[in-house]
Amino acid sequence: MDQKHQRAIAVIAHIDHGKSTLSDRLLQLTGTVGDRDMRAQYLDRMDLERERGITIKAAAVRMNYEADDGKTYQINLIDTPGHVDFGYEVSRSLAACDGVLLLVDAAQGIEAQTLTNLYLAVDAGLEVIPILNKIDLPAAQPDRYGHELAQLIGCEPEEVHRISAKTGEGVAELLEEIVRRVPSPKGDPEAPLRALVFDSIYDAYRGVIAYLRVVDGRIRSREEIAFVATGVEVEADEIGIMAPDPIPVNQLETGEVGYLISGIKEVRLAKVGDTVTTRHNRNAEPLPGYREPKPMVFAGIYPVEGDDFPLLRDALDKLQLNDAALVYEPESSTALGFGFRCGFLGLLHMEIVRERLEREFDLSLIATAPSVGYEIELTAGDRIEVHNPTDMPDPSKFEAVYEPFVDVLVVTPTDYTGTVMQLCQGRRGDLQAMNYLSPERVEIHYQMPLGEIIFDFFDQLKSQTKGYASLDYEPAGMRQSKLVRVDVLLNAQPVDAFSTIVHRDKAYDYGKTMTERLRKLIPRQLFDVPIQAAIGSRVIARETVKAKRKDVTAKCYGGDITRKRKLLERQKEGKRRMKQIGTVEVPQTAFIEALRVDSDGAGS
Amino acid sequence: MSVAIAPARARSGQWSAEPGFGVYVHIPFCRHRCHYCDFNTYEGLDALFAPYVDALVADIDRFEGEAPPATSVFFGGGTPTLLEPGQLGRILAAVGQRMGIERGAEITVEVNPETVDEAAFDALLTAGFNRFSVGVQSLAPHVLEALGREHSAEVALAALAAAQRAGATDLNADLIYGSPWERPGDWVRSLEGVIAAGTQHVSAYALSVEESTPLHTLISTGRVPDVDGDVQAERHGVAHEHLQAAGFQRYETSNWAVDGRASRHNVLYWSAGNYAGFGAGAHAHIDGRRWWSVRLPREFISAVERDVTTEAGYEQLEDSQRGPEALMLGLRLTSGVELGALARAYGEEFLAERAPTIEQLVGSGLLERAGSWLRLAPRSTMLGNDIVCRLL
Repeated sequence: MDQKHQRAIAVIAHIDHGKSTLSDRLLQLTGTVGDRDMRAQYLDRMDLERERGITIKAAAVRMNYEADDGKTYQINLIDTPGHVDFGYEVSRSLAACDGVLLLVDAAQGIEAQTLTNLYLAVDAGLEVIPILNKIDLPAAQPDRYGHELAQLIGCEPEEVHRISAKTGEGVAELLEEIVRRVPSPKGDPEAPLRALVFDSIYDAYRGVIAYLRVVDGRIRSREEIAFVATGVEVEADEIGIMAPDPIPVNQLETGEVGYLISGIKEVRLAKVGDTVTTRHNRNAEPLPGYREPKPMVFAGIYPVEGDDFPLLRDALDKLQLNDAALVYEPESSTALGFGFRCGFLGLLHMEIVRERLEREFDLSLIATAPSVGYEIELTAGDRIEVHNPTDMPDPSKFEAVYEPFVDVLVVTPTDYTGTVMQLCQGRRGDLQAMNYLSPERVEIHYQMPLGEIIFDFFDQLKSQTKGYASLDYEPAGMRQSKLVRVDVLLNAQPVDAFSTIVHRDKAYDYGKTMTERLRKLIPRQLFDVPIQAAIGSRVIARETVKAKRKDVTAKCYGGDITRKRKLLERQKEGKRRMKQIGTVEVPQTAFIEALRVDSDGAGS
Repeated sequence: MSVAIAPARARSGQWSAEPGFGVYVHIPFCRHRCHYCDFNTYEGLDALFAPYVDALVADIDRFEGEAPPATSVFFGGGTPTLLEPGQLGRILAAVGQRMGIERGAEITVEVNPETVDEAAFDALLTAGFNRFSVGVQSLAPHVLEALGREHSAEVALAALAAAQRAGATDLNADLIYGSPWERPGDWVRSLEGVIAAGTQHVSAYALSVEESTPLHTLISTGRVPDVDGDVQAERHGVAHEHLQAAGFQRYETSNWAVDGRASRHNVLYWSAGNYAGFGAGAHAHIDGRRWWSVRLPREFISAVERDVTTEAGYEQLEDSQRGPEALMLGLRLTSGVELGALARAYGEEFLAERAPTIEQLVGSGLLERAGSWLRLAPRSTMLGNDIVCRLL
C-alpha cells in the first residue's frame, strides 16, 4: 500500500490500564477479527502472559480501516512490553512507530512506567494521542486525570479522548483520530532495503520469527538478506503480515510492518534492534539505536535434586533459543551443588525464566539472592566483571569497585512524598528532580544503585505508599562505590550461597539478618555451631546455635528393639539428606528458607 | 528345674557377649491408663484376668523353642500386681516348669504402690519373686496428680517400706523426670526420697511424649506446655549427682544401681541377648529372630484357647544387621561394648566398615575407647541417638 495510507502506532500504558482490551476492540471494529473469534486479549501469546495479564513479547498486527473519508488505511498496531525490564524492547517498538496512543486508567492516572515511555515517545518525535480509559468505572475521575494528561503533553483537556475499551465507547472516534493525527511513514521506497527488527520470537516449528518494519526500500520473499549487527546472511523463506493470524505475502513495502522467517534457529542471531538489508547491501548504514541485550541482574539457579542438573542445562539451552537476553554459565556451590549463574534483564525477567523452567520443564529449583554485575579494577590495572559475589577478589587485590546505577522515576500522590524520599535516601538514592503533575501527584527522580532496587525496593515502595506509588528506572552507567563482600560462615566454613556484595554501611545489617535467620533454621547439633558474618577475616555479626543437650530415648519398651532400631534408622536417613558444611549438618530446607527473598528485608 | 550358679559378676551392669537368657511376661491391665502412656495396656478388663492367666500358663506350657534355663525373669505391664500374688506365682511356676530358671536368677515384678501391702510382698517373695520394681514416678504430690497416678507420695514410700519389712533386698524405684509440671526442687525431693527409702536401684526416665497419647494431644493443642529437652538433660545430671553421692553407679542411660544390683534383665536387652516373651504384645528374640504377640488380651486368650500361634509378626535379622544392632544396643550401657567379642560374634567386617566413623567420633570426644572397649563419653549419654544412628 502507498505510504500515504499507512499508520504505525503503539499503545503505551501501565499494566491493567487496558492496553490489551483496547487492542482487542480495535481488531474487532476494523473487522480484523470476527466477533465470533474474539478471545479476550488476542495479542498476548503465552499462557504465562495471559495468566499474569501482562505482555512480555510484542506482537504486531495489521488492520485495514475504512475511514470516514471513504479511503482505506492500513493501521499497524505494534504491541509493546509493559515492564521496566524490557525498556530497550519498548524503545525499539517505538522506533518502529509514527505515533503512540497514551492510554491511562481514568481511575488511577498516569503511572511512572507510562511516564517513562511517554518521554521516550516524545524524544523520538512521535505524535501522542492521549486517552483516558475505563470511563465507565464508578471510580473514574476523567476531569482530574484528563487535566493531568493535558498538562503533561501540552494540550487542552478537551483533546484527551475518553473511552471505555471494555464497552467500546469512544473507540470508533479514536480510529478516526489515528488516521487524522498520526503521520504516514517517510522512508525512501527507492533506497536499498533497511528494515528494523523490533521483536524476535522463537517458534518450535518455524524457528525464529522476526517482526520488522520496512524503513527504506522493500523486502521480497526468497530474497537473500543479511542482519547487519550479527552478520548473519540467510534467505527470506517467508515474509508475511499478521492479521492477526500470519498471512504470507510476496513483499513488504516501505513503511509496512510484518514478519520474516528465515531458517534461523536462535533469537540471538536475529536480535531486536538489528537492521535487515539485502545481502549485496550488507554494509548498509544500520538504523540507529541498536544495543546488545545486557543482563543487569544475576542469580545462581540450582536444581533441588542434584540429579536434575542435566535437565536444567537442557532446559536453559531450549529457553535461550527464544530469549536473547538470557545468559548462563555453570557454577558449583558447596551448599547447593551444581547449577548455573544466570543473567537477566531484571527481576521480572528472572521470575519469568524461573517460572518457565519450573512449569515447562517440570524442575524444582533454588535461586540464590539476586545480585547485580560489578566491575572491579584490579591493583594490576585490569578491570574484571563479577557476577557472583564469591568471585570478588580479596580486598588487597583491587583498587576500586563499580556498580550499576539507575535513574529512578517514582510517581506518587503528594501525601507520600516524604515517605518515598526517605525510602530512596535509605537506599543510597540521590535526588535529581521533582515535578508536580498536579497539586495531588508528583514525579520524583532519583539516581540510585540498581543493587538497592533489587532487594525488595518495589515491595517496600508499594507497601509504604499503600500501593499508590509506581516505579520505573533505566540504566545510568557504572559508578564507584564502597562495596564489600560479606561472607557467612558456619563453624568457620564459608557458605558460598550466602556471600553477597553490599555497601559498606549495609554490611552489618545484612550480616545480622542472615546470621539470625540461620540460627533459627539450623537444627541444634552435637556441638555449638557459631554462625558468623565476616568481611574478609573481620567478623561483623555472630550468632550461635547452641549444642543440643538431649537426643536419646528413655527406655526400650518391653524389649521392642525393632521399634528402637527403626527410629534410629529414620534418624540416620534424615542425616543422609542433609548437606554437610564442614562438620555441620544443614537441612536443604534451611538453604531454601534462608534464600527466600526477602520479605523481612536483608540488605534493607 | 535345672540348677546352676549364676556368676556374681552377672549383675555388675556390664555389657556381656553372653548375657544369659531372659523371660519376659506381659500383664496388659491397668486400673487407670495414664495420659502419657503408650504401653500395651487396657482399663476395665477385670473379667479377663483369670482367663488371661490361664492362657499365659497354657502358652508357656506349649512353648516349643529351644531355650536354656532363664537367668532373669521379668513381669512387666501394665500393672502386674492387679493380679493376685497367687496368679502371678502360678505363671512364674509355669516358666520354671517349662523353661527352667537358674538358681540365683533375677526374678522381677513391676509393682504399683497402691496395689500392694506387706502381705502381698510376702506372698510374692514366697512365690519366688526376688526383685521388685516399684512405680514411684515422683514424690511431689502435684506431679503425681498431673501425671494421673493413683497413689500419693506417702503410699509410694509405704510400699517401699512394706517390701523391706517383708524381706525384699532388691528394690528398684521407677521415677519420671522432666515433666512439664516438675520444678527443680520436686526432682531433688523425689531422688532423695527413694534413696532414703533404702532402694538398691533407681530407674529414672525422662518423660517422653509419644504420638497417639492423650498427653501428645494436650501438648500439640497448647493446653499443656511441651517437655524441654534441655531441662531434661539438666535433670539427668542432677539425678546422676545425687545418686552417685549415695553410692549408686549409672550402668545404663536411665539406670543406676548400688554395687552388684544392676538389673540383669535390662543388661540382657542391651547386650542383644536372647529372651522369650509371653503375653499380649510381648516381644522375644532368639539368635536374630525377633517376634511379637498379638496386642489385644482377648485375641491372645482366644489364640491360646484355639491352640494357634499368638505371634503377630516377626523379623529375621540378616547376619549383616546383627552386628550393627548389637553395637547400637551395647552403647546404651555405661560400660560400652567389647569390640573383640562383638567381632567374634558377628564378624569383623561391619566394624571395619564403621572404623572411620568410629575414629571420627572418638576424635571429637563423643565416643571413648578403653582398651578393647568402646563406649559413649559421659557427656554423650543424653545424645546417644544422634551418635548411635551414625553407626547403624
